[in-house]
Amino acid sequence: MTQMNMVQAINDGLRQEMRRDDRVVVLGEDVGKVGGVFRVTQGLWDEFGDDRVVDTPLSEGGIIGTAIGMALFGLLPVPEIQFADFIYPAYDQIVSELAKLRWRSGGEYPAKMVVRTPVGGGIRGGLYHSQSPESLFIHVAGLKVVCPSNPHDAKGLLLASIRDPDPVLFFEPKRIYRAAKGEVPEGDYTVPLGKAAVVREGKDVTLLAWGAMLYEAVAAADEAKKQGIDCEIVDLRTLWPVDVDAIVASVKKTGRVVVVHEAPKTCGFGAELVALVNEKAFLHLEAPPARVCGWDTPFPYTLEMDYLPLAHRILPAIVETARY
Amino acid sequence: MGSRPIGGRLALTRRRGGARFRVGSAPPMQPLATPPSDAPALALSDELAVALYEQMVLARALDERLVALQREGAITQHASAVGEEATVVGAVAAMHDEDWVFPSSREFAAALWRGMPLAAYAHHVFGTARDAGQGRNAPDPPFWKAARVASVSPLSGTHIPHAVGVAWAARVRKVDVAALVFFGEGATSSGDFHTGLNFAGVSRAPVVALCRNNGWATSTPASRQTASDGFAVKAVAYGLRGVRVDGGDVVAVLSAVREARARAAAGQGGTLVEAVIAGIDRVDPVARMRAQLESRGLWGADREQQLLGEVRADVERAVGEAQAGKPPARESLFDDVYAELPAYLREQRDQRDTG
Repeated sequence: MTQMNMVQAINDGLRQEMRRDDRVVVLGEDVGKVGGVFRVTQGLWDEFGDDRVVDTPLSEGGIIGTAIGMALFGLLPVPEIQFADFIYPAYDQIVSELAKLRWRSGGEYPAKMVVRTPVGGGIRGGLYHSQSPESLFIHVAGLKVVCPSNPHDAKGLLLASIRDPDPVLFFEPKRIYRAAKGEVPEGDYTVPLGKAAVVREGKDVTLLAWGAMLYEAVAAADEAKKQGIDCEIVDLRTLWPVDVDAIVASVKKTGRVVVVHEAPKTCGFGAELVALVNEKAFLHLEAPPARVCGWDTPFPYTLEMDYLPLAHRILPAIVETARY
Repeated sequence: MGSRPIGGRLALTRRRGGARFRVGSAPPMQPLATPPSDAPALALSDELAVALYEQMVLARALDERLVALQREGAITQHASAVGEEATVVGAVAAMHDEDWVFPSSREFAAALWRGMPLAAYAHHVFGTARDAGQGRNAPDPPFWKAARVASVSPLSGTHIPHAVGVAWAARVRKVDVAALVFFGEGATSSGDFHTGLNFAGVSRAPVVALCRNNGWATSTPASRQTASDGFAVKAVAYGLRGVRVDGGDVVAVLSAVREARARAAAGQGGTLVEAVIAGIDRVDPVARMRAQLESRGLWGADREQQLLGEVRADVERAVGEAQAGKPPARESLFDDVYAELPAYLREQRDQRDTG
């Protein structure tokens, strides 16, 4: 075990997998010599060279489009999109091509890759360096979506994502890139896709969260505890396919649920989670499910702390849900 | 026409000699901005010459049958390549067996040249259970995994970066594999054309980008796609070589693409080949190749009759069999979304209509 932050854990995972599997290639803007703007790929170019760690032209569509070709040929690309906010020029390639290749070819031409990209706010990145576009990809059949909340899961989920046969969008919460630290095994291990983690057991209210907002949920739960409300916190880890069983089991136990996410509320992933809870645990509910999310506005620069669903906004939702 | 499939009525109008083929309706041919291929005149073996011609005749016969099927409403769409046979067949014939081919919507003949059985293609057209794609894509383009004919969408230009990626990977892996990607001149207006060729230039990927310039993308003339002097010149800005060839001359296309492939394999980078297609009212590439075979003493009326008979019978047999084919099972809809069926999709698959 070694103490690592998220950046180090993901870097460690990439390095290990590139050593283990020579099909793995990393490509993106500034991922080579510089090691990426967040230094997640630092040192990989020195070890693996130009052919496997590629500084690409500045075109997200080109990065994903050529990565699809590499995958068809038999390589295993792990492209980086510098910020999730920049992913839209590649949206057509991801949605129309990457997600549909296996299906439209009757399983004969799957294109496997892991698209890594930093998401979320809280670093004063402003409108174009802070977005959380997960629901835009969850809605598309054929993609898997992952978002780790800590270094251990980040490395284990990354290795599982690279070894999974399907294309994975690997969202890295940049607010906790360096702030989240923890013990990370040095060797090879995976955290299975599709499995949530109950990070705190409780009996009164279920909190569903992931990524950087998990810590806000924890802080809010700590405050709620002082008011005698016992929260169970579920870190989804894999957003799609989501761990329905874990969610339903928790909600059946508590009868109450609060969903927290940074993305705007309307048609955010919380909407789907609440619908799933209604479909599968309706008769167990003691209160209407609540959502604490980013506002239905674009993401602000100056007022980002007013935008994010921080603990002080989550707490009243917990209390209201508990006392309904 | 570009690479977008076009609706039945429009296609039919064209096939009946509408605007597309009326003499004088095509945009004026621009002077050659780039030299034609400087490859030495190709010494074509008798065997290859005949094979090219036979493939063009098959493509024409199949195409005409598909147009008729579309007219009857038996299939919903077909992007006809009548008049473009020389470009499609000549280009694909220039590639090596281990190379990859990325068709766009009009290159079924390329898949057949690579060995896709006529019957398999017919099953694709009718979307039967025996279609390799399980009837998920509307007709064209087909894919054929055994011969590395890639699965592409009907979207314009999105497959160009894929071909570059395949070629790039081959270069990284140091194997002698190149990629050929077809598209219509309309696709040169897409971002993916620019992106793909830019990446090709930077990566030195061994790719041959084949632009079929027939002057029209659906209803839009080439003059509305670009203000540049033709399309081959666009290669210059990407650090690629650009050549223009007579797309009605199968030997010229074969020669240009063969040279482009050789240069790519030698590490000299990719080539954008613009095949200029005049339109069948002005040049019939099939008749042109037949005349060449006749002048070489390789062809005559008897062989022509025999070939036409065989080809039409083959097409009828394949179409008849596929037309009678069964649709894929309802459950197959849920296969291949992911490598393994997730629980929520199993639930949806097993859901029964409750009426």
